[in-house]
Amino acid sequence: MRPFHPEFIFTALRQILPYLWVTIATMAGTVFFGSLAGILLARAKIRRGPVLRALSEIYIYVTRCIPSIVMLFIVYYGLPEFMLAFGIDINNFSKAFFVIVTFSILFAANMAEVFRAAYESIDPGQREAALSAGLSEWQAFYRIILPQCIVVALPNFTNALVNLMKEGSLSYTIGMLDVMGKGQLMIGINHGSYSLEVYLALSLIYWAMTLVIEHGFGTLEKHLSKGRKIVAAS
Amino acid sequence: MLEVKDIHKSYSGNEILKGVSLKVEKGDIIVILGPSGSGKTTLLRCLNFLERAEKGSIDFDGIHTEFKSATGHQINEIRKRTGFVFQNYNLFANKTALQNVTEGLIVARKVPKKEAVDRAKQALDKVGLSDRYDYYPSQLSGGQQQRVGIARAIAVNPDVILFDEPTSALDPELVGEVLNVMKSLAEEGATMVVVTHEMGFAQDVASRVVFMDGGTIVEEGTPHEIFSRPRDPRTIQFLRRILREDYEYSI
Amino acid sequence: MKLNTDFMIKTFLAALKGIPVTLEITVVTLLLSAPIAFFMALKRLHKKGIGSRITAGYVSFVRGTPIVLQILFLYSLLPSLLNYLLNRVLELDFDVFGVPPILYAFAVFGLNTTAVLSEVFRSALLTVGHGQMEAAISVGLSRRQAYLRIIIPQAMVSALPNICNTTVNLLKSTSLAFMMTVKDIMAIAKVQAAYGYNYIEAYLVVLLIYILLCTLVQLLFKAVERYLSSYKKLVTC
Repeated sequence: MRPFHPEFIFTALRQILPYLWVTIATMAGTVFFGSLAGILLARAKIRRGPVLRALSEIYIYVTRCIPSIVMLFIVYYGLPEFMLAFGIDINNFSKAFFVIVTFSILFAANMAEVFRAAYESIDPGQREAALSAGLSEWQAFYRIILPQCIVVALPNFTNALVNLMKEGSLSYTIGMLDVMGKGQLMIGINHGSYSLEVYLALSLIYWAMTLVIEHGFGTLEKHLSKGRKIVAAS
Repeated sequence: MLEVKDIHKSYSGNEILKGVSLKVEKGDIIVILGPSGSGKTTLLRCLNFLERAEKGSIDFDGIHTEFKSATGHQINEIRKRTGFVFQNYNLFANKTALQNVTEGLIVARKVPKKEAVDRAKQALDKVGLSDRYDYYPSQLSGGQQQRVGIARAIAVNPDVILFDEPTSALDPELVGEVLNVMKSLAEEGATMVVVTHEMGFAQDVASRVVFMDGGTIVEEGTPHEIFSRPRDPRTIQFLRRILREDYEYSI
Repeated sequence: MKLNTDFMIKTFLAALKGIPVTLEITVVTLLLSAPIAFFMALKRLHKKGIGSRITAGYVSFVRGTPIVLQILFLYSLLPSLLNYLLNRVLELDFDVFGVPPILYAFAVFGLNTTAVLSEVFRSALLTVGHGQMEAAISVGLSRRQAYLRIIIPQAMVSALPNICNTTVNLLKSTSLAFMMTVKDIMAIAKVQAAYGYNYIEAYLVVLLIYILLCTLVQLLFKAVERYLSSYKKLVTC
């Protein structure tokens, strides 16, 4: 059994934690672009013509089948060459760019399903009642339907976010220096001798982040769903 | 045949039953009336040990025990000799109408399959569902589902059948078919304890009416006694309210 | 940009040899995990004692950390731990480094999938209403009979879509098995790619194979679902 130094876990935590903002920033970027694309995909699936709907469905189906690491490699190796064909050189772009592109592509499909399910869970009577009360289509959506959608979508969104964080740890494989990347770097510098300690430190960080995300959004959901309680109880 | 004494039951500090005693003789049709929250459903569920009463005793055709200390064997024995009809039917969603009825015969009572099927078909015929043997619950109307529920309860030849508001989940136009089935069971001499809001059924069919309020039995007697000459002010108030509603409903 | 199609066909044929390995990991993992997961789900539903709390902690930890981290951690821990236990403690003179890497893959993916499946089973059991248990008891079934004949068959049907999801996710995460030197689709493609720097082509081939495998899994589950949910027939249409 190799020697185990529990105290090194703290050393590792101290050195890794400063890189947490890199992980969080790339996640934020991914959530932003992925959600935008997800909204478009969901719209296409809900009400656009048959062609757009089919395209959106194919996109969602295919991305659901792709392992994140395969997507990451394809984007990382393929996108620069693809762009070069248009005369654009992105070879020197930051690693974070490729990470955000990769995970936005995947996250968009998740979001599309989350948004669509949430939208469809709202009784059409809500819209009709809003319209008959004199609200415009946009007001009906914005003031009545959207707030209800958000409550329904929150648990699934939380899930997708946690998954994004966990899958995002693969970014180290293309040399991204986030939490996971820093951990791997530490192991490399020490020639592998502190790997268990570092992995434990990393596990603690990811686990804590998961709990924080789940707890935070759980509280938010409870706060937002006040009006729905009575319905659920009856 | 069935006698319970001094049942007490509470949920998280709220006493729902405050010492209820009830005696059922063979062939009795006992209808339990009362406002919601009076404890009538809880009483029925205690009889079948779906809820465990904290205090009180039960005497069921030779089995005598305190509720608190009843053994698994005694509970099983009592359950096997009673039928229970649920408010929301609770048909087994993964079984056909016929299988819903045979389940308790074959699995719990070890009746041979062929005999079980025969008995189940008889029971389903009796409730007027001879053309619905192989339908799943999701393919049946509420009234049909409840009739399967009744068939399931009578197929095991129970000594007593407990009905927990069997018609209150039904659309008004489906109530009649279920009440008719119950009425014909009563005419055949079945022993029944029925919790319901159907005043007409209580008046026509009951051999005894029990009025409950606030976790106790306020008054009991023949339908004539309860409906024509109620003594307790709570009974009078309840009946006045219900019957007035019925009256207003009919105009 | 031009893709090297000859290379892609060659890689495709080579990577096909990895399919049995990928499927083996997926199937063995599921078979190992399902019974344990089911037992854990029951434990947690009854909320009895310390067992349920340990299970909850285990599930939370596994679901809260990336699978790649679990792979790296266990793959650096298990061989030396085994070596220590078998050779130092039990003095067996066992060649730990001759253990086929696929066994480590079973262990890692098994630990992960058990946690995920136990949640799937737990929520499925919760979807079967309490009334079903009461009705079963009222016709005289024992709790065990009620579980076996009424509750579990219904729970399985409602769990199927989630089991399908779990399987697809498991299939996808086996693409990380190459980190434990398992020769699966991904590992073969990586080797092929490294020869002539044809990375994109190699990974596009992997992507294609995964789409095919996922489709296969989903069709399979659709068929099972159709077979099992005969009692819901008319509701859905």
